[in-house]
Amino acid sequence: MNLDELKKKMDEAHYIYDDTLATVLFVALQLGRPLLIEGAAGVGKTEIAKVMASSLDRELVRLQCYEGLDESKALYEWNYQKQLLSIQVNMGSRDSDELTKSLFSDDYLLERPLLKSIRSEKPVVLLIDEIDKADEEFEAFLLELLSEMQVSIPEIGTIQAKTLPFVVLTSNRARPLSEALRRRCAYLYIEYPDMEKELAILRAKLPHVDDRLCAQVALAVQKLRSNESILKKPSIAETLDWAAALDALGIRELTPDALRQTAGFVLKNSEDFAALEQTQAEEHTCHCGGCEGHSHG
Amino acid sequence: MDEPTVYLEKLSCFSRMLRLEGLPVSPKETADAAQILTHLGFQSRERVKTALRTVFAKSREEQLAFDRTFDSFFIPEEAMRQQAKQQQEREMQMAQARREAEQNLQVNGQSLGLNQSQLDTYASMPEEQRQRLRNFMDRYRDSAERNPDLYGNFIHSVFAKTLLEQQMRMEDAALGCAAVDPELGLLYRDISQFKDTEIPKAISIIQTVSRQINGELTARRARGGHSGKLDFRRTIRRGLETGGSFYRLHYRKKRNRRKKLVLLCDVSGSMMQFSEFALRFIQSLNQVSESSRVFLFSEELFEADPFSLQNMDAFRSYVRQCGIYGKGTNLGSALEQLCAKRPAVLGSAATLIILSDTKTVDQNRAVAALMEAKRQSGRVLWLNPIPESHWQHIRSVQTFSSLCAMASCNTLQSLAAACRRITL
Repeated sequence: MNLDELKKKMDEAHYIYDDTLATVLFVALQLGRPLLIEGAAGVGKTEIAKVMASSLDRELVRLQCYEGLDESKALYEWNYQKQLLSIQVNMGSRDSDELTKSLFSDDYLLERPLLKSIRSEKPVVLLIDEIDKADEEFEAFLLELLSEMQVSIPEIGTIQAKTLPFVVLTSNRARPLSEALRRRCAYLYIEYPDMEKELAILRAKLPHVDDRLCAQVALAVQKLRSNESILKKPSIAETLDWAAALDALGIRELTPDALRQTAGFVLKNSEDFAALEQTQAEEHTCHCGGCEGHSHG
Repeated sequence: MDEPTVYLEKLSCFSRMLRLEGLPVSPKETADAAQILTHLGFQSRERVKTALRTVFAKSREEQLAFDRTFDSFFIPEEAMRQQAKQQQEREMQMAQARREAEQNLQVNGQSLGLNQSQLDTYASMPEEQRQRLRNFMDRYRDSAERNPDLYGNFIHSVFAKTLLEQQMRMEDAALGCAAVDPELGLLYRDISQFKDTEIPKAISIIQTVSRQINGELTARRARGGHSGKLDFRRTIRRGLETGGSFYRLHYRKKRNRRKKLVLLCDVSGSMMQFSEFALRFIQSLNQVSESSRVFLFSEELFEADPFSLQNMDAFRSYVRQCGIYGKGTNLGSALEQLCAKRPAVLGSAATLIILSDTKTVDQNRAVAALMEAKRQSGRVLWLNPIPESHWQHIRSVQTFSSLCAMASCNTLQSLAAACRRITL
């Protein structure tokens, strides 16, 4: 697949991208490297993995990371209950060595996302989401998988990947990732989209919503993000929710009142609400005779 | 970019340049870059840059260093010649200015004894400032002729101080990353240089970094091993999953012993902004300490009300109400009062953190009081807003840093590094 073909596939998936993003995805795909994506929450990191799965026509295997995640949840686990049952059933009837051997076979192996992704007959897209939430041990454990595309299970041995998955790791930078992990990945940093891109996303995802309203929503979100007093910046998903909600409520014009009433879709804490109200109050007190530099919705 | 082979040869050169810039580039990455360039071609400069950035730069900071290196390495031949010519002219001008400086700055026919970097700084100063220094020297020229030792040293020390301040200003201005990335710029800029409009952004950076540090601490505790005592309840419960056989034993976790922090903050005029940021940072590290007490001082000592530390305005008005704002700094008196407090504030479990630029009246008294505070507390850490590169020029910093651990934290980045030291 060349770059133009990849772009065409992403177009078919109705994904809005720029040339930089397409090139980075192509590089990672071509080199067979995992792609580490960093950026603030809500900029669309996870979406990239979903789009790649759909563009490449592959299954998406997702591993959501959290504190305390270990091999048994990420790679494999033995089915203890089934093993015990098998011991009870076969007690005394068969050769004990044979029984022990059979207990550590595929029949008793519970596949978790990582093992599933490398044993899959067809190549998949493996999304390791929010890797910064996992412990450092888990990061170290991932190194073998990411560099050699293989995993080691003590009772079975080393399992080589049948097909190469396209691995996407995402991080909100809640903690710095190890240098070893970074060096094994291609790297992409995503920022919030600019006005033009955000509007294009709104048009693509919500084609039924009035274009004028979409433009007003995109502009309002850009202003909210550039407001230094607002700490939790609105994500792209929240922008889409907001526009959809305004449309569902039959609002055709984003007036200051409509903004106040529906701001809960984009602002999620009281301090940010207070900052918004203060900004609106400051704009109203300005007597500059309807200049265009001020937001009126 | 028509000849791929030429550019592939250049690629290894570029890798070396990146290593010089501090990027850990391995041969494998260079091979990856060569492979991807043969696929992508060399038609589009932006595309080549993006592809190479993806392969070589592994963090946002590295991306900035990469962009700088790429833009200065892959330039058209004509532009390169132009740059070389300009550089040569600049160097000639600098050499000329240095010679002039040496001629101008003489007392009693002898050179002032400024080193190379001080001469460079002088040469790059605006003419107005240079004239001011020359006027100062002319004013004391007669006195220096009468008493060369005394006035010669005096003139030298004034020059050294002025040039050091100029150097610091130039270093701040040369950071340059602010324009490319405002967030990174704030991380590496001197806290005292923050504008009012940048303060909310700086606070949000503090929150992000303190969340990172808290996360690191939680992770460190989680893998901190167990106490050796069996957790019967969890072992039996998990045993039920395997038909009552205790397949895995569970142990009790080690008890977390968090630190008791005592913060002593200098809130004299120049320290106010730094103290506010540093306090906010340390207070937000909820994983570090189980309790913390904050004392503010200038000439007197006051214990801060925790609610006054919630936001910057409240903190500033509280400091003004206390009547300690705008006064001189007396560290010795503050430490003596702290050590004499009953019930005792310090103790073997306490970590005393001093936020001060070491400028104090009665230094001998401060040294004695610091020794006593060190004896009473488990550990003393001094957070100093003066950059470490300037410590060698300031006598009070040298004195105090020989008595206790001192960390420079003039930027949010170095403040975060210092806060990580608190957690050790």
